[in-house]
Amino acid sequence: MSVLIPLLFLITAVSGTAIVLIRDPSRQIFAIAANGIVLTILFTALQAPDVALSELAVGGAAVPLLFLVALMAVRAGTADQESGGDGR
Amino acid sequence: MTWLPYAVAAWLFAAGLYGLASSRNLIHLVGCLSVCQSATYVLLLGLGYRWGSIAPIFYDHPPGTPAVDPVMQALVLTDIVVGATLTALLLVLTVQIFKRSGTLDPEHLRPIRRRGAK
Amino acid sequence: MSPRLRLTLLGAALAGLLPGAVAVIGRLPEFGATIAAYGERINAIVPAERHVANMVSAINFDLRGLDTLGEEFMLLAAITGTVVLLRGRRGEETTDRAMRLPGRAILPRSEAVVLTCRLVGPLLMLFGLYIVVHATVTPGGGFQGGVILASGTLLAYLGEGYAGWRDVVRSHWLDAMEGGGAFLFVLCGLAPMLTGAAFMQNVLPLGTFRDLYSGGLMLIENAGVALAVCGGFTQLFLEFLEETRESAGPEESGEDSA
Repeated sequence: MSVLIPLLFLITAVSGTAIVLIRDPSRQIFAIAANGIVLTILFTALQAPDVALSELAVGGAAVPLLFLVALMAVRAGTADQESGGDGR
Repeated sequence: MTWLPYAVAAWLFAAGLYGLASSRNLIHLVGCLSVCQSATYVLLLGLGYRWGSIAPIFYDHPPGTPAVDPVMQALVLTDIVVGATLTALLLVLTVQIFKRSGTLDPEHLRPIRRRGAK
Repeated sequence: MSPRLRLTLLGAALAGLLPGAVAVIGRLPEFGATIAAYGERINAIVPAERHVANMVSAINFDLRGLDTLGEEFMLLAAITGTVVLLRGRRGEETTDRAMRLPGRAILPRSEAVVLTCRLVGPLLMLFGLYIVVHATVTPGGGFQGGVILASGTLLAYLGEGYAGWRDVVRSHWLDAMEGGGAFLFVLCGLAPMLTGAAFMQNVLPLGTFRDLYSGGLMLIENAGVALAVCGGFTQLFLEFLEETRESAGPEESGEDSA
């Protein structure tokens, strides 16, 4: 246990930094989802099952979906402007 | 070793701030803000942890067994859920900015705003 | 301000804050050595006082229930703001019909996806309900269960298509769930005052420790939170997805949309 928790903290630092460094939003979504999963494992290791459950549902599913849909809305708008409302 | 969780929290916050300052895309910027948010989770849960303690749920273990701090967990738990709705609000604002100005780059926003203000 | 200047400023600010951060981290209690006295006292007293096994739920719904009331209204405000922003552009009339971009290709779903979603969807909803109901016994509660229930409805979107999903998920119901959940929570605060007790005092019988009925008033507050979170998140998903397909007329058939 005493090795696992520091390791998980380090992985959290790396996955959080990855969100910042990945500049393309459509790739960043994967980094956000991965960060959610890493945080879930960290919270479980820190004896916080309640928090891990909500982070799993929110960080692993809900928030990436919201980002994805926001990106889709922006892309649909871009396609409208470029090709006169012809989808993508 | 004993300072590692706090250092990780500080690092995540600084990385998120760097992302906020250098981002060229508003959707990416909202993602960076969530990194700052996760720094607070790491800090609070790191403060509430104690080696060899159980989770603060006395179903399998009798009450009185040493457990980790439940107050921090309650704080983080509500913040995760409420923070997600705030992320949604920010994303909607981003989409509205795009619809009105046609760009997601914060660098290109200022002249458009000035033109719209007159 | 040029990007380079901005980053230089940020670097200077962070460099200035660094000694302070190092000093603070040096003074913080050693990781894993001890926990705050407040949490320690709660762990010692609350299982006997409130007959509840899950301390986190006890704090959220009873000891610091007023704070959760505030959180609940932050949730409500954020979702209301989102919905107002999105519907303000679209107009309120169209919210009950599925919209579609005219040029988007209609992709057939494979039977495996449909079958998996039909099997897993109800199971996921059941799991969400389990999490909500067992708030005071095992890890879980209204916040987590509500989000799980909301994600469960998304499997209907994946399996049945957007139009089918919109047939199941009605916007008015979601509004009612969201507001009704918050109202239920406020009612839980005010109702004890009728009996002469304090705001949000736990007046119901406390039930048995480690039993499904334990915690008294907490269970009702928990149900209110679950309703509000589930309704609110589903509403968010719905309004967001509607945003990606606003520039077309309503879709007639409910069968073959992607």
